[in-house]
Amino acid sequence: MRSHTIKAGAFFIRNFRMTRRNAFTLFEVLFWPAVGLASVGLLTRFLALDADTTAFVLTGTIALSVVQVCQLDVAYGLLFDVWSKSVKHQFLAPIGVGHLVAGSWAMGAVRGALAFLVMASFGAWAFGFDFFKAGLLPLVLFLLGCLLSAAGVGVLTCILLLLFGYRAEVAAWSLVSMLMVLCGVYYPVDLLPAPLAAAGRLLPLTGILEGFRAGYGFAPATASPWGEGLALGVGYLLAGGFTLHWAARSARRSGMLLRLSE
Amino acid sequence: MWVVEAEGLRKTFVTGWLRPRRREALAGVSLRVAAGSIYGIVGPNGAGKTTLLSILATILTPDSGRATLLGRDLTREPAAIRQRLNLVSGHANFVWSLRVAEILDFYGRLYGLAARARARRVEELLEWCELTPYRAVPYNELSTGLKQRLALAKGLINRPALLLLDEPTVGLDPDMALKVRAQIADLKAREGVTILLCTHYMREAEQLCDRVAFLKRGMILAEGAPADLKRRLHLGDAIRLRMSGPAPDLTGLPGLLQWALRDGELTCTVDEAAARLPGLLALLQAKGVRVQELRVIEPDLEDVFVEYAKPHH
Repeated sequence: MRSHTIKAGAFFIRNFRMTRRNAFTLFEVLFWPAVGLASVGLLTRFLALDADTTAFVLTGTIALSVVQVCQLDVAYGLLFDVWSKSVKHQFLAPIGVGHLVAGSWAMGAVRGALAFLVMASFGAWAFGFDFFKAGLLPLVLFLLGCLLSAAGVGVLTCILLLLFGYRAEVAAWSLVSMLMVLCGVYYPVDLLPAPLAAAGRLLPLTGILEGFRAGYGFAPATASPWGEGLALGVGYLLAGGFTLHWAARSARRSGMLLRLSE
Repeated sequence: MWVVEAEGLRKTFVTGWLRPRRREALAGVSLRVAAGSIYGIVGPNGAGKTTLLSILATILTPDSGRATLLGRDLTREPAAIRQRLNLVSGHANFVWSLRVAEILDFYGRLYGLAARARARRVEELLEWCELTPYRAVPYNELSTGLKQRLALAKGLINRPALLLLDEPTVGLDPDMALKVRAQIADLKAREGVTILLCTHYMREAEQLCDRVAFLKRGMILAEGAPADLKRRLHLGDAIRLRMSGPAPDLTGLPGLLQWALRDGELTCTVDEAAARLPGLLALLQAKGVRVQELRVIEPDLEDVFVEYAKPHH
């Protein structure tokens, strides 16, 4: 167990050191989320939305930013090595994909929580958004659900990188946009065409958002959105872990590890 | 005792989706590396050297064939092998903004070293690779030579029993290359590390390796101690003499492979200089030739390389 912690800790510490040294990280964690929140918040003012509808929209904005910030860290666990062409040295070491995901996700959770704090505070100050209205437990579950969803998205990026190489790095920034459309970040999922709404229901963030928004008077479409969201999040993370393990084996077979190191 | 035993390793790379292109990189490679030795793999570009090393490093899976490293099966127990092996690449790269000590610390963690042991190992390696003054320098600010020394230090972080070196001195200044070669020899002598060395530099292979394999088109064409390989190819020793007097006829001299006389310099290629020199000198003296200067040139591994690189092999 100690050895596993040390190995996962390698990715946590590395992401921390990279974050600390890179001024642009502040943009990822603070600037872009704050800009997004300000833009959407001002839009709600322009549309003269009531407090609960404003909360509905801002909840989505904050969730999306937390997922983006955290999933980037998971993807960075592999992307730093891809960009520096040192992938083979990472996979030469006696580690499993679980160490990579756990260590970098832990750092992502810290950064995601920081982004959440900044946005929630800014939302309260600028738009009178009461993030505690739903209660403390829903708030904790909301954050947990966002971070769980982020882990799944980050793992998917890693899988795509190992299968398709450099071309797939764009996934680190684009996959979250898919969530924005399908998970009902700015609108109820039922507004989507039926096939897309059905696809949205299969994503954990949909349930997480519905569960949290119930605290603001928006009735969820299913009986237990929390249970569905969290179960889907855990399920996808486990499935993602196995698929990532398979993708790493595939990369050893296809020579992708070498191509990513050249 | 064999640290590496590989038999019939094959690898074909397939690229492209619609029109897959196949390139055979290894066409059945077998080799054995004895414990505590340095085994060289040389060959022209595209011979399959890096592919072979990558398979042995467990970062590439062979299509067929089998191999045992450190007594473990390569395909069934790769995790156990990884714990005791490491790789140093000539074109090594690490995360650009991490500092020298942090890079070693990162890889120390990947090998599961606990905090105290890791800190001690990092300090040892910084000192051994003369990197202590650069410990806080970011990777992208290091010179090529320092990057290469860092790569070597990283390759030793887990005290590997088997070290794979992929062109470790490529692109280095001659003095830095000498230092790295001395460190490689030291590793074998002091710590008994078994080393597999891929190199383009024949002098490096000749200086360091106990045995050498010539790889070409994914196959081993010849394998043996450097001296054996030279003998096997009948390259012969060259005897060069600056002479005066009548032009001699050396036809029929025992052991003579070829000879030529140009501008007062006689060049004789014989099977073995030490054995044939007395007879040659006696013959020249008998023919009234005065020898003013004499040099014996033994073929080096480079000559062997050039010979094997020829298309007929």
